[in-house]
Amino acid sequence: MPALEDVAKKIRESAKRLLAEGRAEVVVGYRRGTIPLTTAPFFARTAEECDQLVWSNFARINLANYLPGRKKVALVAKGCDARSAVGQVVENQIPRDELYVIGVPCTGMVDNALVAAKEPRPIREVVETTDDSFTLKGEGYSVEVRKEEVLRRNCRTCAHRTPKLADELAAPEVPGATPDDFADIKALASKTPAERLAHFKDLIKDCLRCYACRNACPLCYCPICFVDETRPQWLGKSNDPMDTLTFHLLRGLHCSGRCTSCGACETVCPVNIKVREFNRILELTVQKEWQYEPGLSWDQKPPLTMFQTDDAAEFIK
Amino acid sequence: MSDFEPKIVAFFCNWCTYGAADLAGVSRLEYPPNFRVVRLPCTGRLNPKFIMEAFKRGADGVWVSGCHPGDCHYIAGNYHARRKFILLHQLLESIGVEPDRLRFSWISSAEANKFQAIARDVVEHVKACGPNLAFRKEELKLGLAEVA
Amino acid sequence: MASSKIVGAVLVAGGGVAGMQAALDLANAGYYVYLVEKSLAIGGRMSQLDKTFPTNDCSMCIISPKLVEVGRHINIELLTLTDILSVTGSEGDFTVAVRKNPRFIDMSKCIACGECTKKCPRKVGNEYNELLDNRKAIYVQYAQAVPLKYGIDPKECLKLTKGKCGSCQKVCPADAVNYDDKPQDVTFKVGSVILAPGFAPFKPSDFETYRYSDAKDVITALEFERYLGATGPTMGQVVRPSDGHHPTKMAFLQCVGSRDVNRADNGYCSSVCCMYAIKEALIAKEHAGGKLDVTIFFMDVRTFGKDFERYYEKAKAAGIKFVRSRVHTVKPEPKAGVKISYVTDGGAVGEEFFDLAVLSHGLVITPETKALSESLGVKCDGYNFAQTTTFAPVALSRPGFYACGVYTGPKDIPTSVMEASAAAAAASSKLAPARSTLTKVINFPAPVDVTGEPPRVGIFVCRCGINIASVIDVEKVVEFAKTLPFVEYAAVTMFACSQDSQEKLVSLIKEHRLNRIVVSACSPRTHEPLFQETLAAAGLNKYLYEMANIRNHDSWVHANNPAEATRKAMDMTEMAVAKAALLVPLKENVIDVDPTALVIGGGVAGLNVALTLSDQGFKSVVVEKADKLGGNANRIKTTAKGEDVGKYLEALKAKIEADPNVSVALGAEVGQVEGYVGNFVTTLTTGETVKHGVTVIATGAKEHKPEDYLYGRHPNVVTQLELDELLKAGDRKVEAAKTFVFVQCVGSREPGRLYCSKVCCTHTVHAAVELKKSKPDARIFVLYRDIRTYGQKEDLYKEARGLGVIFIRYDLDSKPQFAAAGDGLSVKVHDPVSGRHLLINPDLAVLAAAIVSCRETELGMKFKVPLDEDGWFFEAHQKLRPVDFATDGMFLAGIAHYPKPMDEVVAQAQAAAARAVTVLTQPRMTVGGIVAEINQSKCSGCGVCVAVCPFSAISLDDKGKSVVNEAMCKGCGNCASSCRSDAPSLRGFTNAGLFAQIASAL
Repeated sequence: MPALEDVAKKIRESAKRLLAEGRAEVVVGYRRGTIPLTTAPFFARTAEECDQLVWSNFARINLANYLPGRKKVALVAKGCDARSAVGQVVENQIPRDELYVIGVPCTGMVDNALVAAKEPRPIREVVETTDDSFTLKGEGYSVEVRKEEVLRRNCRTCAHRTPKLADELAAPEVPGATPDDFADIKALASKTPAERLAHFKDLIKDCLRCYACRNACPLCYCPICFVDETRPQWLGKSNDPMDTLTFHLLRGLHCSGRCTSCGACETVCPVNIKVREFNRILELTVQKEWQYEPGLSWDQKPPLTMFQTDDAAEFIK
Repeated sequence: MSDFEPKIVAFFCNWCTYGAADLAGVSRLEYPPNFRVVRLPCTGRLNPKFIMEAFKRGADGVWVSGCHPGDCHYIAGNYHARRKFILLHQLLESIGVEPDRLRFSWISSAEANKFQAIARDVVEHVKACGPNLAFRKEELKLGLAEVA
Repeated sequence: MASSKIVGAVLVAGGGVAGMQAALDLANAGYYVYLVEKSLAIGGRMSQLDKTFPTNDCSMCIISPKLVEVGRHINIELLTLTDILSVTGSEGDFTVAVRKNPRFIDMSKCIACGECTKKCPRKVGNEYNELLDNRKAIYVQYAQAVPLKYGIDPKECLKLTKGKCGSCQKVCPADAVNYDDKPQDVTFKVGSVILAPGFAPFKPSDFETYRYSDAKDVITALEFERYLGATGPTMGQVVRPSDGHHPTKMAFLQCVGSRDVNRADNGYCSSVCCMYAIKEALIAKEHAGGKLDVTIFFMDVRTFGKDFERYYEKAKAAGIKFVRSRVHTVKPEPKAGVKISYVTDGGAVGEEFFDLAVLSHGLVITPETKALSESLGVKCDGYNFAQTTTFAPVALSRPGFYACGVYTGPKDIPTSVMEASAAAAAASSKLAPARSTLTKVINFPAPVDVTGEPPRVGIFVCRCGINIASVIDVEKVVEFAKTLPFVEYAAVTMFACSQDSQEKLVSLIKEHRLNRIVVSACSPRTHEPLFQETLAAAGLNKYLYEMANIRNHDSWVHANNPAEATRKAMDMTEMAVAKAALLVPLKENVIDVDPTALVIGGGVAGLNVALTLSDQGFKSVVVEKADKLGGNANRIKTTAKGEDVGKYLEALKAKIEADPNVSVALGAEVGQVEGYVGNFVTTLTTGETVKHGVTVIATGAKEHKPEDYLYGRHPNVVTQLELDELLKAGDRKVEAAKTFVFVQCVGSREPGRLYCSKVCCTHTVHAAVELKKSKPDARIFVLYRDIRTYGQKEDLYKEARGLGVIFIRYDLDSKPQFAAAGDGLSVKVHDPVSGRHLLINPDLAVLAAAIVSCRETELGMKFKVPLDEDGWFFEAHQKLRPVDFATDGMFLAGIAHYPKPMDEVVAQAQAAAARAVTVLTQPRMTVGGIVAEINQSKCSGCGVCVAVCPFSAISLDDKGKSVVNEAMCKGCGNCASSCRSDAPSLRGFTNAGLFAQIASAL
């Protein structure tokens, strides 16, 4: 049960060392958030700034999102983030030798919606010292919460909690959780098309098309996203339900074979849409058809950049 | 529903299925007139967007057909296309597109009879699905009006 | 030969796949080609095939682009229904006399609508379907035929034979029928002649054993092929002819009319039957959904080509039974099916019922071809195949005459295609001074710049006589078209493709300042190039054109629903207008081509490439890793035909040394490679920099070092090449030896190396014959799995047996056992015929060691060309592009491609050179048109497009953004559909244009 401060110390030490050695010019990590239950991305460029780096049960954002185009950067990365970083190297977004990964074996991050459900009273302060629980403090109360009760969905089924391809680890390795069994996705098959459609229409009914999910996603580095295309303008700009659905479908396709289930998209969604459901449909297919998981090797070929002559596609007659 | 005549958008590759359709013509093999063909050089050109666009614009069905695996005029176009189709097919079916609305086939340029059989089958199955009310956009400017 | 009289034209006789390839290579290299074909159309035997082995490619799909290319080539004059009367003169200056037989159809008028055939009352056996169904007396040879023009069979037509009928003339909407057509004799001049008359399948009618003549359920393999074909008599249904039922059990009988001097006089192996039988078996099983048992009765399974052995294994895995036996009796059963009796090589007698027996008949030279050879003075072998030599494999006995395809021996399609290119090279080797003197060039006016102008669309709706107008209300389509945005002009035309319509189109474009043209007529696959040419003639960029296929896809298939057909035609026209309005003129750019070749590998293949290129006046740099030229051939004594390899090699090297066009870099390898087709820059490890337009990879392969059979551990065990070296040196070891054991398939055809090394059986049998001749008392044993002396090499096998060489078959699971016995050797082998173990004490054991690839992965990466799993370089297409790589400007030759004997190596080298000449001959190459382009502001540099491009046409530039090399792009659009941010766009098929079509469709 490493103390969070021990991990943070290790991160700071490494960060300072990397800056001092010139191996990195910037360390991308987390600092304390301005409101409780959050952290914020932080770019440390000096030894002093490194002291602001923290480790937390709320380090949800995937900082690999900040890598494309950068040089000499060290990244503080959970298992999923590190896999995203590998993907970005594979996809030429950053050269391998410009990247240094400070991996942090991770026992999962907290889903604030679950916290809110557990503790509806206003929260003034969070005290966290270890990675298995934290204490919520508010007007006249103090409650301890066990983290495993409020983990994000993606964290509960994370099989790659220890960053395998990190340049160093800031904490001891941790075992992976039982992988996603995709039970809900598989269960779709027993529903009628109409029921499935109703489910997905309901899922995205609150979508504002704010694109926060896209902005938080380390896969979405396109210079111009298809939603912003104008010639031809393919996707309507209003929130016509069909356009909204199309947005999620195409984003799902674009992430297929690349998504590391970091959950950043769901974390940032202001209306709590489980947007990963689209990705998970495809993740299941990618695993089943091509036995592929992204971000686990430096020289892997993403599934949509290759083929096998005997790829199975029974539905094509 | 019996007098419902579906509108189907078909995407054919130039070298195989479009050729099969040509040959079906030469052989005077009749099939229902419900689909409109968009000719592509290769199924590898088929962006998944095109399929979604067709549904969004109210197509009752979409039919995609190209060369058999291994026959691609561009060596590997249909192999790459097949991977995209596997994903797209899974995705659309999972979110509730009726399986019969979206059809994929491999038809070589010599298979005019297969072309006819599948053309009939596609139309029949889309007919059974009824009009596409679920996946069409509410408001649309149609056709050339938009280009203009 | 006086150089002033050299004629820059070539006669190619035979319009099959070989003739077509030779014609295309010559025409693309600056020679005018007369392509003479006896029948109504080109395409040959390949047009009859359903699928092709070992890739199961659809035969028609892969051949039809080639048919169209030949049919449209401005420098190929296609003479159908034509016989060659005589060829006089000498190389460089021949006079050819031909007779053009009447077609009775005016080709310039016929629109191939088929009305005539519908009305023709006379039914005739359809040769295309092997007489399994009928055609009419007026007909096209097959639906995709080129030229797609009807013809009348004068022997069957009632009008021509009896003066009655005449209904085709009455119904022809184009007035194309002319019963008074007469034969026409013409002469023309050529510099050389290529004969590619092809073969006929052996007719088993006279074979009583197989009962082909009287048993309905005994058919030939080509008949079966037609049953499998989607355009065949049963449209792909496999049936038992006697009662139309689906067979559940069928047999293939191999070597019918091949390897048989008792009943057929055909001692040779037909080379292709094992593979086509396996193919037909696999496809039939597929058609039957697994409910079909197939047995193949064979003598030796000869799957010796690239990927053939895997195909054989695949067939075994699919449950196809292989029985080693020559069937002695086939008896028709009373109702249906046949009973087949046979004896296996172990002596077991079998009798089995089959629904269907397919005779795998061989390839034979027809009496007509034999007569042609005689009249032209071409020497043939005893089987009427034209004679060639190992070192000039496509040259015939008469100077100036060359050949390709089955005319010189039985062979498969890729070998024929390879020879075709080789023949093109050889046939033009003496004609270089006359290159481009007779070829035509079309000059179009400079296109008017229409950028910035709003679209002004002109629409032409074709009646196609009654083909369209009888179903579709074309006037209504025109009225509708006039209401569409951007449409300036819309009109009906009778035949849009006729000469006068084309001329009118030109003047209307000018008159109405039309800048986009839509033709609603027939298929763009057949007619787009014609209309595009018309646009060009009118000064309009040819890409400002779109077609609506309202005939093939509409009037012809919705004849009984005119209202819907008309509505569909309106939609299709609207879709075409929508796309056309967004079309932009596409530029075709020219790039300079460096007229030099880099040839990697200085063996027989590489040296022949360089010399063949030199004949055409092109320079080469030959890069050889070793410190001397010649490669593996340095170790070989004689060829299977007995020619001295050493002498040949000496002469070859001398020629290279004396040739000012060839420079050689010894002890050199490829270092860095930059550039692309036309403009490569390669730095060699010696520091030398070579600028070249094309690259030919001829890096060879090596002999496997056996691990088994005491090789390397016993002095009396040697490999085949080592035996050759001993023989060349006159070594005592061979001199003194009395008993020889040859072991075949050492390292070949086994897990990990699942291919046949192709040359070893012939090499062994040849060596055995030579040894037996020089020392008749020698005891020679050949331990083999299947003897694969394909083609006329079978004669050697027969000779060896005649001389007393003993052949003992072994299986993979009971390999011969070698043991040292004192100073000598003892070899134990199980003889399946006697069922006993034999013990041999050879003085010398010779191992037919596999040929293994050098697995040049790094070289492949440098030139962006792939290797297959065995490490052989992987050609662009296994059937039709055997010496090209998918990457433009890259070619391959020799055993770096796959093991092959020397005659095939030389042919492949000449072929690679011929293909290279088609690039080198153009000082500037036109590129562009329908190709991809990248909008770099949208590009993230992720590399998806680079990875999915099948032609290596996309790379990342120094800013990490994608860039398309127009010279290499083929316009498939894979990049455009794979990019998440739509950075690539395929010109002519842009997202905007396709969205507009989708929108208009609904």
